[in-house]
Amino acid sequence: MVDLLDVQRLTKRFGGLVAVSDVSFTVKQGEIFGIIGPNGAGKTTLFNVIAGHFRPSGGTVMLDRVEISGHTSDDISRLGIARTFQAVHLFRKETVAENLRRAAVIAKRYTPLAYFRPSKQPKTAGVADVAAFLGLTGMLGSVAGSLSYGQQKMLGIGMAMMVRPKLMLMDEPAAGLNSSEKLVVRGLIRRLREENGISVLLVEHDMPLVMGVCDRILVVNQGKPIALGTPADIKSDAGVIEAYLGEDYEFA
Amino acid sequence: MRKAILFAVILVLAALPFLFGSRYIFHIATMIAVMVPLACSLNLMLQIGQMSMAHPAFMGLGGYTCALLMMKLGVPPLGSLMAGGVVAAIFAVIFGPVFLRIKGVYFVLLTYAFGQIVNLVFQEWTSLFGGNSGLYGIPKFSILGWRLTQVSQYYVLAMSFASMAFLALRAVERSDMGAMYRALNEDEMLSRSLGADALAWRIGAFTFTAFIAGVSGGIYALYIGFLSPDAFGWRLTVDLLLMNVVGGANVILGPLVGAIAIVPLPELLRDAKQFQLLIYGCCLIVFLLFLKNGLVSLLAPRRGKA
Amino acid sequence: MIQQMAVNGLLAGFIYVIMALGFSLIFGIMRIVNFAHGEFYMVGAVVVLFLFGSMGVPFFVAVLIGGVVCAVLGVVLERLLFRRLVGDELGGMIMSLAVGIILQSVALIMFGPSEQTVQRPFSGTWGLFGAVVPWDRTVVAFCAMVVLLAFYLFLKYARLGLAMQAVAQDPDTASLMGVESGVVYAASFGIACLLAGLAGALMAPVYTIGPYMGELPMLKAFVVVILGGLGSLPGALLGGLLIGLSESVLSTLLDATAALIASFAIVLLVVLTRPTGLMGRRTR
Repeated sequence: MVDLLDVQRLTKRFGGLVAVSDVSFTVKQGEIFGIIGPNGAGKTTLFNVIAGHFRPSGGTVMLDRVEISGHTSDDISRLGIARTFQAVHLFRKETVAENLRRAAVIAKRYTPLAYFRPSKQPKTAGVADVAAFLGLTGMLGSVAGSLSYGQQKMLGIGMAMMVRPKLMLMDEPAAGLNSSEKLVVRGLIRRLREENGISVLLVEHDMPLVMGVCDRILVVNQGKPIALGTPADIKSDAGVIEAYLGEDYEFA
Repeated sequence: MRKAILFAVILVLAALPFLFGSRYIFHIATMIAVMVPLACSLNLMLQIGQMSMAHPAFMGLGGYTCALLMMKLGVPPLGSLMAGGVVAAIFAVIFGPVFLRIKGVYFVLLTYAFGQIVNLVFQEWTSLFGGNSGLYGIPKFSILGWRLTQVSQYYVLAMSFASMAFLALRAVERSDMGAMYRALNEDEMLSRSLGADALAWRIGAFTFTAFIAGVSGGIYALYIGFLSPDAFGWRLTVDLLLMNVVGGANVILGPLVGAIAIVPLPELLRDAKQFQLLIYGCCLIVFLLFLKNGLVSLLAPRRGKA
Repeated sequence: MIQQMAVNGLLAGFIYVIMALGFSLIFGIMRIVNFAHGEFYMVGAVVVLFLFGSMGVPFFVAVLIGGVVCAVLGVVLERLLFRRLVGDELGGMIMSLAVGIILQSVALIMFGPSEQTVQRPFSGTWGLFGAVVPWDRTVVAFCAMVVLLAFYLFLKYARLGLAMQAVAQDPDTASLMGVESGVVYAASFGIACLLAGLAGALMAPVYTIGPYMGELPMLKAFVVVILGGLGSLPGALLGGLLIGLSESVLSTLLDATAALIASFAIVLLVVLTRPTGLMGRRTR
């Protein structure tokens, strides 16, 4: 399998504080990759560096052999990475359909005149499909702000899908969801890979989800990588267990 | 439906000066027509969340460029007019990337400083701009040998440009380009993560509106026949903001309404010049407190844009 | 020559620092750009014109009263107009603009457009490393330093000062911890106007007094704040002194207008590399 995302010796410092230290891993095409770690371990910073919100202090990030480290988030999006947000970001006053449509319009770089084309046909291609994929077909006409939290998170995933990414970065996709919603998200992530060929890199706290859906997992603690392997490897890794000692985690 | 009525009213108002035939009314109408593109171009900037205080300076740059090209180099009026717009746009393209780096406040401060300093240059560089006493003797507008001398003719000239500018800006507002701008304004982080190059879009808007302001300046110069730095200073900034706040800053129709309401005011208040600014300030406060979305919002009692 | 330019620059710089401080304060805490800041400077000067110039009230007393008048005016305006606009950056800007032009108009109506002068309370000069230092500018700079020190101590040690810092950093947490935002907003606005008023009052005898006198100091405050970073108080100090020095050097070598343009150019260069200024925080 070909390497899609290649992170080499990534480091991020904020002043004197080292948030991410010498992290290396690859995400293969078609893989679902998870990053976990105790609170304050640096997962979110690592995620944000890859997503283009921070410039790395050292190391590189490559997507399909193209260097993306240090690029802005809009550049990175155009190169094929989409992300979801932990706190849901939506165009709250617009309908679900318009949210998805806007995402498609933003993602595709039209020539200036194409923005004025009155016919919305070419631009709405995909909205119905994505809505169906997410189970939101019935909500297409509803205003985004009126959706339930779980549905809003789905819509966030949908908007990221409209970018037609090769790789989707998901920031705590299960955060704030109840158990049935979490099951839906689990299924969704798998289907993203199976039905749409999108590889996934996710950061999560929810162990059952991570263990259940990821092909490989990276564990970070205090900015440093402490284990990398399949869920089975991680569950039995002594270093990982020690890092989580005292925290109420279940390696279910 | 209400908007259609408003448009009809505006069309009637536009034709009104011809019915009365008075030079005085034509003058006010022409000034409204000069101000409309300016106020509308500021409106686009406001809609993308950036309050630009540079646009009066762009008007001045366009006006002086147009005048000087005609007076010193004999460039024909239409060409000078366009060149004025282009010069303003060039300044916008050069300074835009610096000013627009960070959304909001810094942009306002930087454009404010830019506006003041450009004005200072107009005042101090007397050999070129004529200084505070002004640049006199700007030739009349002529095209294909036909020279414009009557106010009514300048009214038509100004109205033509005003209509073009208004329609162009309105087209942007209604298109997916407008949707992009609204998206960037509502949630920049989301828009950027979807691939919107925020800086490029803003520079585009800044440059386009600067062009419009520059051409307005040229038309102003041709009509009045004389330019002084006063016309492009703080007072104009206040006027443009007032037009947007009073008319409505959320839609491009707002400043159109605002210009019609505000431009005649100095004439009505001619006897009490010192009170003009005072009244403007009070108007701003009243509208900000009680009618935040401007007069246009009175047209749409239901929520959502018509 | 160099000492003279340095001395002139530093003396001017301290006043810029005070103007910039007040401006930064309102923005840092209420996220409102105060376009009326220059007008409060003018009000301070006008009070001194009236009390010291016409009524013979001792200079420092007049200065203090000028500051207090501005502070009270600021608190009243904050409560009536600005409080509801906290967080609405655009609305706050336009409101402050409106207040500014109203204040200017009132001054215009009351005093007329021409400028007036106030006699200098101190005259004469003294020497410092070969530079000629006017006494009145020295007094102004000295008072400015005292005000700065007082303000610093207030922020660091007074309960209200600490509360203000908390609100500036994180308004939600601050309110959760019991900080009454209303009091903080009123205090910040009042103190900012106090600072502007004191600056204007101190400078009243130095230049002329007129309705438009606040425009240039406000422009300078903007430039300082962009350079030093909006919301950063050390930035205001650094920026103010830097601008004062560079202006002094440039206006000796060129002229005043060219100096202003050059300062602006320098600031633009800084903004290119550090968009939030030398010491500014990254905006959310």
